[in-house]
Amino acid sequence: MTPSRDEIKRRLEHAMELLREFYEGRHRGALARSRRDEDDLFMLLVLSESMGIPNPASYYTLELLPLVMDRFHEWHLRMGMEHSPLDGFRCC
Amino acid sequence: MTRSVFPGSLLASDGPRILFVGGKGGVGKTTTASALALELARAGRRCLLVSTDPAHSLGDIFGVELTATPRKLRGGLHALELDPDRQVVRYLDQVRENMQGLVRPAMYHEIERQLELSRQAPGAVEAATMDRISQLMADTVRRPRGEGDWDVLVFDTAPTGHTLRLLSLPEIMAAWTDGLLRTRQRSDAWGRALERLSGGRAAEAPGEGDELSYIDQVEEGGGHQDARSRRIREVLLERRRKFTRARRLLLDPAVTAFIWVLIPEKLPILESEKAIRTLDEHRVPVAGMVVNRVLPRGDLGAFLESRRAQEEEYLARIRKHFSRIPRIQVPLLARDVEGMETLEQVGRILMGGERGSPPPG
Repeated sequence: MTPSRDEIKRRLEHAMELLREFYEGRHRGALARSRRDEDDLFMLLVLSESMGIPNPASYYTLELLPLVMDRFHEWHLRMGMEHSPLDGFRCC
Repeated sequence: MTRSVFPGSLLASDGPRILFVGGKGGVGKTTTASALALELARAGRRCLLVSTDPAHSLGDIFGVELTATPRKLRGGLHALELDPDRQVVRYLDQVRENMQGLVRPAMYHEIERQLELSRQAPGAVEAATMDRISQLMADTVRRPRGEGDWDVLVFDTAPTGHTLRLLSLPEIMAAWTDGLLRTRQRSDAWGRALERLSGGRAAEAPGEGDELSYIDQVEEGGGHQDARSRRIREVLLERRRKFTRARRLLLDPAVTAFIWVLIPEKLPILESEKAIRTLDEHRVPVAGMVVNRVLPRGDLGAFLESRRAQEEEYLARIRKHFSRIPRIQVPLLARDVEGMETLEQVGRILMGGERGSPPPG
């Protein structure tokens, strides 16, 4: 028995969905990484003075601290630092 | 007296609302600023005289105790001395307040430590000073003359280097916030692309499990919005707005007049040449110059005559180097300038009403 018209449509849609997953999956990972890289760079810019990189705006980065600090632990791990690099800031 | 040219322009009804008086240490900035402020008050302006020098001497010249709160010196004239330390403390309190609800309480203590360390950080006092100055400027020009607290602000600034840095701060800081905002924009753009690709589903990075768990997605207005990212952008944009506003006010010759004070001696002249160049580079409009403590005419005796001969060379150099900047000369007075009476005398000289010798040439 040949599959009905609807059945063919359903199977085609399923195949397309799989292809899209395959294609998008790779890009999703790349996009997520790109975004994370930007966020990591932002964190570095905000914390630079505390890490010994002179930053003329360190006073104004303070108001950003509460907004970035809860990412701090993941960030320093990703940056390859096993422990908190800030003397005044211990998260682990 | 024509009011369209310096110094009469300062008293004009459409004159500048903000005056900065700058120069090398010890040339008479505080005297000039105070005398100008007195003249403005005499002309019916409600004037606030502000000392930005960390080593204040404004109170001393009037013989009163000044604080960061305006104190009335006479009708139409108030004065204050900025207290950047207090300003820093207030700023940190605000950061602490913003922390509530954003940070796990367990982290309060750690952020607190970070804030305490930052209190002593280089640049904190300077940044706090600039913040206060730009706030005063914005509050003053927001309201038309006669309606707000002050018609005119007169800033008695710290010696050259400090003031030049202060004036360039908004430009540098705006560039810096722009850099940070670009980073945020790129991050947000990636986030949006990610969202489109996933058709609104929460995105996951394959192979790295909770790679994206650090992005708090919140539902808002039908789309996914990263609340934290939005808040960061708001904070940055607000900062940028303040810097841009300060810079716009500083650079507008209709609003701000920078008055440079110097004395006819070698080092102050050299420093002024460099400073005026820097002000030009930053496009800060210099309204005029006050050449202070010029030896008076008349018989001074052999010793002072010899000094005057040397002074003539310096005055010639000033005429040559600052030919395009309007100048007023103030003679060396017989006694120190101190208290209302002598300050008023200097004020009259500045405005050309008394022995105010317009510079030849």
